[in-house]
Amino acid sequence: MKSAVTTVVSAADAAGRFPSMSDFESVKGSFDRAKARLEAAEKLASCLDRFTNLAVDAVYQNGSYVQANKDKCVRDIHHYLRLINYCLVTGGTGPLDEWGISGMREIIRIQLLPTAAYIEAFIFIRDEIKINDVMSQQAETEFKGLLDYLINALA
Amino acid sequence: MLDAFSRTVVSADAKGAAIGSDDLAGLRKYVADANKRIDATLAITQNVSCIAADAVAGMVCENTGLTQPGGHCYPTRRMAACLRDGEIILRYVSYALLAGDSSVLEDRCLNGLKETYLALGVPTSNAIRAVEIMKIATVAIMTETNTGRKMFKGINSGSGAQCQDIAAEAASYFDLVIEALS
Repeated sequence: MKSAVTTVVSAADAAGRFPSMSDFESVKGSFDRAKARLEAAEKLASCLDRFTNLAVDAVYQNGSYVQANKDKCVRDIHHYLRLINYCLVTGGTGPLDEWGISGMREIIRIQLLPTAAYIEAFIFIRDEIKINDVMSQQAETEFKGLLDYLINALA
Repeated sequence: MLDAFSRTVVSADAKGAAIGSDDLAGLRKYVADANKRIDATLAITQNVSCIAADAVAGMVCENTGLTQPGGHCYPTRRMAACLRDGEIILRYVSYALLAGDSSVLEDRCLNGLKETYLALGVPTSNAIRAVEIMKIATVAIMTETNTGRKMFKGINSGSGAQCQDIAAEAASYFDLVIEALS
């Protein structure tokens, strides 16, 4: 799975050389940002259910979507937030790409679920929930970056 | 290929759970020890030919028949192959040490290694002995318990005594190589 370290190791292995000083520097650079990422992952894990319910309730309360789909929406939003939690840990978009985005649009469509509801829910989490209350500014930036990435992939 | 981070992700995904505080403790230690880990890897990369040559020389000294006509390290072409393999094993151990996970070593180096050696007629008992010597030499250089001067220049000012944990981890990767060959 793609992360700062595995990218460096794959490149070194393809060339048959030992890890070089510039490889170490790029690994070190990713570790310097790791503190904020791990904090975001930890706080997100503890708020996963709350964020999901807040977002889905907000999206479904205005009545523009079929209420019968609400449970499935809760399940999927929860799933995506968990994948974002994984991405925060690996420091790359690997888990979202491999387990959440490839083939995802087809699956949502075949279940006749509205993609727009998902996008609205993620935008709600990004813009309406006070994420700052649970995590630091830097951690929030890392989290929102991944939310943006997911919203763009869904749209 | 996995590293310490993606290994945690894969095992959390198998349970379908998010990664919380308990699992993150180990990763925080990995991040906090990053400089030591880089130093320990440098201890290998700066001494590759020395470690590999010493190990092969040691193996031959203990079993001088190897370099005699009919021995497995005769002629020099076969001795050279032996040195090359020592360096390849060290290279994969250095990758595993940097990643903090053995998957790269297992997938790309150890998988099928024993079968290859058996097919080529390489005596695995001698190969294991060479790996053992490489393990001892690497740990000694990393922890600065080798006789003589300090043998690597790290990015930290800290001493090798602080690398004990990482050196033990490196030793476990050599043990995996020995296990795969036996």
